[in-house]
This record gives sequence, C-alpha cells and structure tokens, in this order.
Amino acid sequence: MADVAHKNPGPLIVSSGTKTLSAVLMFIGVASFAVALMTNAERAWHAYLTGYFYFFILGIGGLFFAAINFVTKSGWVVNVRRFSEALTAYLPVAFAGALVLIFGGKSLYEWMRPEVVSADALLQHKAAYLNTTFFVIRLVVFFGLWLLFKHKLIGGSIEQDKTGDESITQKSVGWGIGFLLIFALSFSLFGVDLIMSLDAHWFSTIFGVYLFAGLFQSTMATMILLVIYCMRRGLLTGFVDDNHLHDLGKYLFAFTVFWAYIAYSQYMLIWYANLPEETTFFMPRVTGSWLYVTASLLLFKFVVPFLALLPRWAKRSHMHLTAISILILVMQYVDLYWLIYPNLNSESVIFGFPEIGCWLGFAGAFLFMVMRFLGTHAIVPVKDPRQFESNHHHVVY
Amino acid sequence: MDIIEKVIAFARPASRRGVAGIWDDEHKMVAAASKVHQAGFTQIEAISPFPLHGIDDAIGIPRSFIPWVTFVFGLIGFSFGTWFTWWASAVDWPLIIGGKPMWSLPAFVPIMFECTILFAALASVGALIFICGLPQVDPPVIDPALSSHKFGIWVPEGSKGFNGPQLEQIFKDHGAVDIKRAEF
Repeated sequence: MADVAHKNPGPLIVSSGTKTLSAVLMFIGVASFAVALMTNAERAWHAYLTGYFYFFILGIGGLFFAAINFVTKSGWVVNVRRFSEALTAYLPVAFAGALVLIFGGKSLYEWMRPEVVSADALLQHKAAYLNTTFFVIRLVVFFGLWLLFKHKLIGGSIEQDKTGDESITQKSVGWGIGFLLIFALSFSLFGVDLIMSLDAHWFSTIFGVYLFAGLFQSTMATMILLVIYCMRRGLLTGFVDDNHLHDLGKYLFAFTVFWAYIAYSQYMLIWYANLPEETTFFMPRVTGSWLYVTASLLLFKFVVPFLALLPRWAKRSHMHLTAISILILVMQYVDLYWLIYPNLNSESVIFGFPEIGCWLGFAGAFLFMVMRFLGTHAIVPVKDPRQFESNHHHVVY
Repeated sequence: MDIIEKVIAFARPASRRGVAGIWDDEHKMVAAASKVHQAGFTQIEAISPFPLHGIDDAIGIPRSFIPWVTFVFGLIGFSFGTWFTWWASAVDWPLIIGGKPMWSLPAFVPIMFECTILFAALASVGALIFICGLPQVDPPVIDPALSSHKFGIWVPEGSKGFNGPQLEQIFKDHGAVDIKRAEF
C-alpha cells in the first residue's frame, strides 16, 4: 500500500446513460403518482409517503454518518466519507418533497381533518401539537436546521478539497456535535409527525429510535453499494480496499442487530403490558396477510443478514456484501411499507403500480442528486489531514 | 519456603531451548519475522508489548479458531436458554402470569439472548486462556523489556526447518540489538 502513488481520482465521470435513467425514473414517478392521484388519492399519498421517507432517510443518514465521523475524528473513514456526503445532496429535494406532502396531509392524517377531530376527544386533546400549522412550522424549522448543518459540515469538507485548510476539520467537530444533538430530537419528532401520527391515537416512545435503526442500516447498505461500484471501476485504487469495506460491513452488521433489538424492545413491552391503546398498532400487523409481512421483517431484516454477515470473509467479499446490502435495502422498503400501509388498508396487503412508481420516482431524483454531487466533487477528500491514516487502514480482526 | 519452591518447580511449564532476537524497532522486527518465515522456519514466536499490524501474515500463522468456539457456544447458550425457560415455566413450575400462555416466547427472548452472550463470551475467554497455556507459574522470560518497549522473535531448536547459523544471520541482517540462546 505504501508504494502506491496516491493521485487524486477526481470526480466520478457520470455517464449520460445514468442521467437518462434518472430522468426516466423521475418521469415514471410523476406520471404514476398523477394517475394514482386521479384513481385513488388516498393510496397515492400513502405510496408517496413511503417512497419519500425511504430516500429522505438516506439523505439525512449520510449527514449523520459524516457527522459522527467528524465528531469522533475517525481516520479510517476519510477515504469513503465522500460517499456519505454525496447522499446529503438529496436533502434539498427531500425538503421540496416534504412541502408537497403537506398537500396530501388530509388524505394521510386524520388529525388534519376537522370533521374527524371535532368528533374525537383524544384528537382535540392532542391538537395543541398535532395541527396543520404547527406541523408545517416544525417541518420547515427541521429542514432549515438540517440544511444549515449540511452547508457547514459538507460545504466545509468540499472547501477543504481546494484549500487544504486544517482548521475546517477542527471546526467540523463543533458543528458535528451540534448536529448530533439536534438530529436526535428533530429526527424523532419528524418521524412522529410523518409516520407515527398516521395512527394519531397510538404512541410509542421508542418509535424515533426504531426509525433511526432502519436509517443507519439502510444508509450503510447504500454506502457499501456506492463504494463497491467505484472500487470495481478502479477509481479508488490506493485509497479504499477490503479493509474499509470490512469496517463498513461491521457497521452494517452492528445496526442489523441494533434494529432487531429496538424492534423487539418495542414489541415486547407492548405485548407484555397488553394495553388496548398500545396493542392497536400490532393487532392489524399480526392478523391476515400482514402476518407474513411481519414475519418477513424478522427473517430477512435480521436473521438472514445477521448470519450472512457473521464470518470475517463475508464482510470483505464484494459479491456477498452487495447481495446483503440489496437485501437490506429491499427490506427497508418493506419495513416502511409495514409501518405506513396498515393505515390505508389494514385488511389485506395491497401493492402495485402506485407504490412501485412513486418509489422509482424518488429513486430517480435520489440517483440524479447523488451522481451530480459525485460528478462535481472529487470522490476522495484528498486534502483531509487524516487521509494518510485512511490510506493505510488495516483491520486485523 | 522449601515446599513453595517445590510446588513452583512442579507447576513450572516445560520450556524449550531456542534462539531469540531482540529489536527496539517494531518495523525491523516484522521485516525480520517475515524473512524468517520465508526462509523455511516453521515454529516462530513473535513477542511484542502491543498488537503489531501485519505480524500475522509475516509469520504465517493461520486464523485463530476461537471465532468457531464463540459461535458454537453461542448456539449452545441459545438452545440452553430456550430449553431452560420452557422447562422452568411450562414444565417444572407452571404459573399463569398476565394471562399469557405458559410458554410465551416473547417473554423469554431476553433470557435466550443473555444465555447466548454469556456462553459465547465465557467460552471465548476460556478458549483463549486454554490455547495460550495460561495460567503459567514462573514462566521463562527471554527479556523483561519485551513487555514494555522491545520486540522479539524466538524459534525453538530442533523444530522443522530450524537452522541456527542461518537464523542468527537473518537476525543480524535485520538489525537485532541482541541475539541470544533462550528458553521459552
């Protein structure tokens, strides 16, 4: 490793095919959403919310991953950090998507419908927090904060590429700590607003952590896919090798366990106490065809990735990591679907073109923004003061 | 005192004679270890006060089997936890708690989980102690500085591929600060 010349790989050359693909995907998304809106508006908005939240989580997850590594002053991560920064390029689009979501509020959230609230004492009681005005204010404030921290942290990292100024790395520690504190609160509340309040009578204090576990798991899976893609194209030779993948794989493994731990913690307490106001969440999810979705989460979001990522070689094999990452990304969609769709139809599982179309639309926007970021900025932050450490990263165990 | 010395003499591990090289730079030591391994020596002990990157490959030791011990005992612990909670609450002393079935899996997952961790962790430490031959009473010491700031390679005499003069030559070529015959 020491003998390899470390030349700046520069930005990724994004093929026109990728650009076309993302444009086509976005068109499919808009078209299918429009068609679904005319046939069944409620279903269309649920499909929108699922697809929206799926990619929002990756955007904010990239910022979170970058922030924890700034705060912990991690050396090994430097050469793969740009990929987590690239995910944050999606955040402005996520903001726009959230603003669009407000128009579908009445189709999604019963607490936004005055006729429902006027007949429901509990919702009236919660109206001090769950009302449309405050919802919009929270949404704008949260995105304002997230975009500010993205500008400070990721913008600083980009600026360092040009200047090599080491004080940026030091300042990022402070901004990172600030972001982590704000993220813990704002992401939980945002998850409560967008997903938990679908069933406004129900509540779970661990809900934010549950969403966070899925966030970290799917962010790691996305990063691993991006890193392997660039490694396979030979762009990261001398910068990233199997040792970096091994550590990313460890993260993926750790948060697979963490997700199961949190999911189980939520389930076990509700099951044990057996209070009707809490069990309303699980009752539709363990009856009828929904039971199979619940079982598939346990099996394919925890048991299979857990066993598959256990051996050392598994975390260093490109093919293996790719397969497991794709499985986890698929199961992340199933997880969000499992959280959101019983609100629309608790009788049976419905899945079809509105769901696929909306997801593809957001996927197109996500692909476009991430590739545009990687196509503009060097894929390795070559002037980071800790880069030497990352070039010589070696994982013994 | 006489008895204590006799006990120590009895418990003292059987040591072997060999040739040791001492370095005060870990990079030179790793390079020497790599060279010794390439020269055909099979039994090589590398001694360092802290973990050295690349020493595993340098002396060609295979991966430890401890992860398998961890995995197997984790499975045993998991099975034990499952069996024990079933036996205790559904067979030996059935009690209805909260109107739940006698054998309610969700309530027992924490115990199954903890048993998995407990068995896996204790077995790993046990296996480590066992394959390191610990505890040792009054083991031979090549050089006390090897546990603070120096690095050593030791090869037992008579092991497969052993060649004394060649070994000492390699040690010399790689800047060993001390070369001596030592028991270990």
